[in-house]
Amino acid sequence: LFYMLYLTNVKHVLCFQRVALLVASDIDALCACKILQALFHCDQVQYTLVPVTGWQDLGTAFLEHKEQFRYFVLINCGANVDLLEMLQPDDDSVFFICDTHRPVDVVNVYNETQIKLLIKQDDDLGVPPYDDIFRDEDDEEGGDSGNESDEGSEPSGKRRRFDEGAVERRIERQRAKREWEARRREILFDYEQYEYHGTSASMMFFELAWVLTKDTKDMLWWAVIGLTDQWVHDKITHMKYVTDIATMQRHVSRHNHRNEDEENSLSIDCMRISFEYDLRLTLYQHWSLYESICNSCYTSCNFKLWTLNGQKKLQEFLADMGLPLKQVRQKFNSMDMSIKENLRDVIEESSNKYGLKDIRIQTFGVHFGFKNRFLASDMVHATAALLESTEKDESDSDNFIKALDSLSRSNLERLHSGIELAKRKLMAIQQTVASCICTNLILSQGPFLYCYLMEGTPDVKLFSKPIALTLLCKYLLKAFVHSTRNKRCKLLPLIMAAPKDVEKGTVIVVGIPPESETSDKKNFFGRAFEKAAESTSSRTLHDNFDTSIIELKTDDRSKFLDALITLLS
Amino acid sequence: MPTKNVVEERISKFKNKGKDPAKLREKRISVCVELRKAHKDESFLKRRNITLSSLPDEEALDYISNDMVSSETFIRNLFKPSFYIQSVVQTSCQAARKLLSQERNPPMKEIIDAGLLSRFVSFLGMDDEPTLQFEAAWALTNIASGTTWHTQQVVEHGAVPAFIALLASPMLHISEQAVWALGNIAGDGAAYRDILIECNVIPALLARICPDTPVGYLRNLTWTLSNLCRNKNPFPPLSAVMQVLPSLIQLLHLGDKDILSDACWAISYLSDGDNDRIDVVVKTGIVSRLVELMSHEELSVMTPALRSIGNIVSGSDLQTQAAVDAGVLKVLPQLMRHSKASVQKEATWALSNIAAGPCRQIQQLITCGLLPPLVEQLRNGDFKTQREAVWAVTNFTSGGTVEQVVHLVQSGALEAIINLLQVKDTKVILVILDAINNIFMAAEKLGETEKLSLLVEELGGLDRIEMLQNHDNETVYQAARTLIEKYFSDVNGYTEIHFK
Repeated sequence: LFYMLYLTNVKHVLCFQRVALLVASDIDALCACKILQALFHCDQVQYTLVPVTGWQDLGTAFLEHKEQFRYFVLINCGANVDLLEMLQPDDDSVFFICDTHRPVDVVNVYNETQIKLLIKQDDDLGVPPYDDIFRDEDDEEGGDSGNESDEGSEPSGKRRRFDEGAVERRIERQRAKREWEARRREILFDYEQYEYHGTSASMMFFELAWVLTKDTKDMLWWAVIGLTDQWVHDKITHMKYVTDIATMQRHVSRHNHRNEDEENSLSIDCMRISFEYDLRLTLYQHWSLYESICNSCYTSCNFKLWTLNGQKKLQEFLADMGLPLKQVRQKFNSMDMSIKENLRDVIEESSNKYGLKDIRIQTFGVHFGFKNRFLASDMVHATAALLESTEKDESDSDNFIKALDSLSRSNLERLHSGIELAKRKLMAIQQTVASCICTNLILSQGPFLYCYLMEGTPDVKLFSKPIALTLLCKYLLKAFVHSTRNKRCKLLPLIMAAPKDVEKGTVIVVGIPPESETSDKKNFFGRAFEKAAESTSSRTLHDNFDTSIIELKTDDRSKFLDALITLLS
Repeated sequence: MPTKNVVEERISKFKNKGKDPAKLREKRISVCVELRKAHKDESFLKRRNITLSSLPDEEALDYISNDMVSSETFIRNLFKPSFYIQSVVQTSCQAARKLLSQERNPPMKEIIDAGLLSRFVSFLGMDDEPTLQFEAAWALTNIASGTTWHTQQVVEHGAVPAFIALLASPMLHISEQAVWALGNIAGDGAAYRDILIECNVIPALLARICPDTPVGYLRNLTWTLSNLCRNKNPFPPLSAVMQVLPSLIQLLHLGDKDILSDACWAISYLSDGDNDRIDVVVKTGIVSRLVELMSHEELSVMTPALRSIGNIVSGSDLQTQAAVDAGVLKVLPQLMRHSKASVQKEATWALSNIAAGPCRQIQQLITCGLLPPLVEQLRNGDFKTQREAVWAVTNFTSGGTVEQVVHLVQSGALEAIINLLQVKDTKVILVILDAINNIFMAAEKLGETEKLSLLVEELGGLDRIEMLQNHDNETVYQAARTLIEKYFSDVNGYTEIHFK
């Protein structure tokens, strides 16, 4: 829509100004940030980087920087609210927004002076036409008049006689206006009903770099990670993922082709990105094959590893592959080369027999030097684990910087520490999923499923973080759909709540859409949460950039849920 | 003692105890008038707003867009000698009227400055040119709807006799337009109202009322009549009132809500004043119809009916009794519980004046179940209504028998007024302290002063009254101190002895 128009514009403006860079806390935003930082570095643009975790943070960051800065770049935040209304900026502040959150607020769409949206041309926003939702001041003024003064008050002493036609026309205008407003409400309701995500921000910035012919392999890799983040955290449809992977593949082969000569002389610090049709086994190259199978959502759910039967099936599966248990249980790195060579084919063959038809997926891998090989999803899990680390009581911005660091190839140690964190997180998720399923913690509330993690559940602290809880939520729903026999329940969305801050007595609540192969990944919980909170005056905090993630006072939980059930029934 | 004077002064304000009953009413009435005046200004402003915010109608816009050239053309046309082609004059007159009928910024001043008023007034007399008559009447109506200055311009160009003559036009729409114009002139204020009356506008208007007059015409006519009853300083002359009343009574028996509304407002203007003026209204026998209209489903009818009855019960005991006999006490409870706060307030005001009557009327008030809604208003009403309710309690306690006062206390009124001692309004606090004093006087007659002192203390009243001894207002301080000295020093003595 606006993309090409702004490419040159953005560059031109940003070249000569100091810029405030406000970045949301998700992996795609981090990758986009890395790309933009590299671009700024090329052009020697001065910038200040401010991580923001929510709307309040964004508001504070803006207040703190609005005096020194005119230009603000917002990554993965700001598109889905009326930003000018929220921040009340001066007239000369300009916001460049690259945000995957949809729907984009209509005011942001139609404000061309202060809000510059970076949106891919072929992303269909479905924005209602201007005339359907905005009217000129004059029209509005004319409509709100009613000739009757307050009923029951004393009549006026003098009365002017209007044209008959004028009166009729006014009535007609009022009627038309009421109809228009009703239609506007309907249009906006339809438009704002579902929350979903558009093209990854890092891909957007990569394409910007490419158009400026400033793209590098590092940037390309970051864009791949950003896209993979959207897939790992289930933000986009499978179709969209496959399409965007194809786009990235073209860029990858272009880069590989361009640098063919260099690649031939492998060096210790070279970097090689390759398209892979690899296994959906999380972190398997940094774990043992066995542990990876046990802790990957796809295999765990299909085998139902939380049941005895499932464990048995897994053993059979391993036997079918003809892999010695000793090999399977030891570190992947130490496995026999002979086994590793055609491992993927072996696994795929057995998987097909066991009904795991999609054990392989199109993705990308990277080689740093000779030794280090990572899949894009490895990077996503590691960085996410660092970003939401609960290890020590480090601040959000410390975690942000660490996560950002782990994306640089010069900081592989950080990346490895992230991988270890990620393993622990994935194990915690699997254990929680298993215990929730085995103890029937998932309740059907009518229009949705509901699961509450009690204070004292192991690893509950981990799940006070939005990305971790969302991931748990998705894994749990997938596992539930595999385990339940109730056909109706298979089609329901899931709401999870976990303790957020015990002292303040708050819980974090996440809602996700129903699980299905063909899911459009559109989430209606954002609006529903707002309405339910409003109608019960529950004490909620809608601070997350994802509207389907909120904080709620523990005491208000039951009335909030009751309202939600009524609302969605 | 200054306290005593204050108390006396206050006592003198009560209708019954009062040496000078008229004084209290006057006071209450003047407050009401002020409120009503404010209201009128408000509604006037509102109207202006509407006018400003509305879109001009498209046709008129065409004229405006033709800018000054065309308006100069029609102004010139309007000054052509009358033997000149009439249709040109007619079109120009209509153009002017349309400009004046547009919703936004009608060019009243421009048209007056162009000297068109005398032309318009002369058109009014052209009985052989009814279209021109009509357009001119409409244009002048709209100019007269402006500010006092605008109305003045119309009157000074001799429009009054011309319009009165036009009332007799055989063409109904022309006559109706004249009615409207005269309404605007009368609505300007007492001065023009009386000029119209002197020009015998009333008989000319009343002559147009007959069984087959269309409803639309009657609506305009009723409104104009109501403007002829409206405004004070001075009130309209009694002779005029006597002329209008029979027709108003007749109109009050029709079914159209707009006619009923304006007719009721007219009655409310006529009944707003001293007892002689109220008497004129009561003697027509319209009171029972007004009480009936207090239950009308339309707020626009019910409000002025309630206002009229409120005025009547502020009169003499006899006049109040007429309203009581007509069943006003049966209607008031539902009005005191009406969803609109302004209705609650007016109803409570009426009740407070009935409570100022003799104990026979107070007894009827109790029998008809007015105490529960009264206590409800004391507890939960909005402040203006609470103020009226407090007055009702004070009037009740000053005129009621001992048994009646006991009944009132038992209904929860004492507790409610004690709770109201926290308000900021000094006047209200004084009225409450008076009520408490009255209740004590009743207790004295029963020899139950100590029991009452204990009750007041239990209800937190003593603390509040003690606090009021620190009040900034000297009168409040004195009244509170007198109460404490008179009725609570004993209690303290009693408790002291008790603890010994």
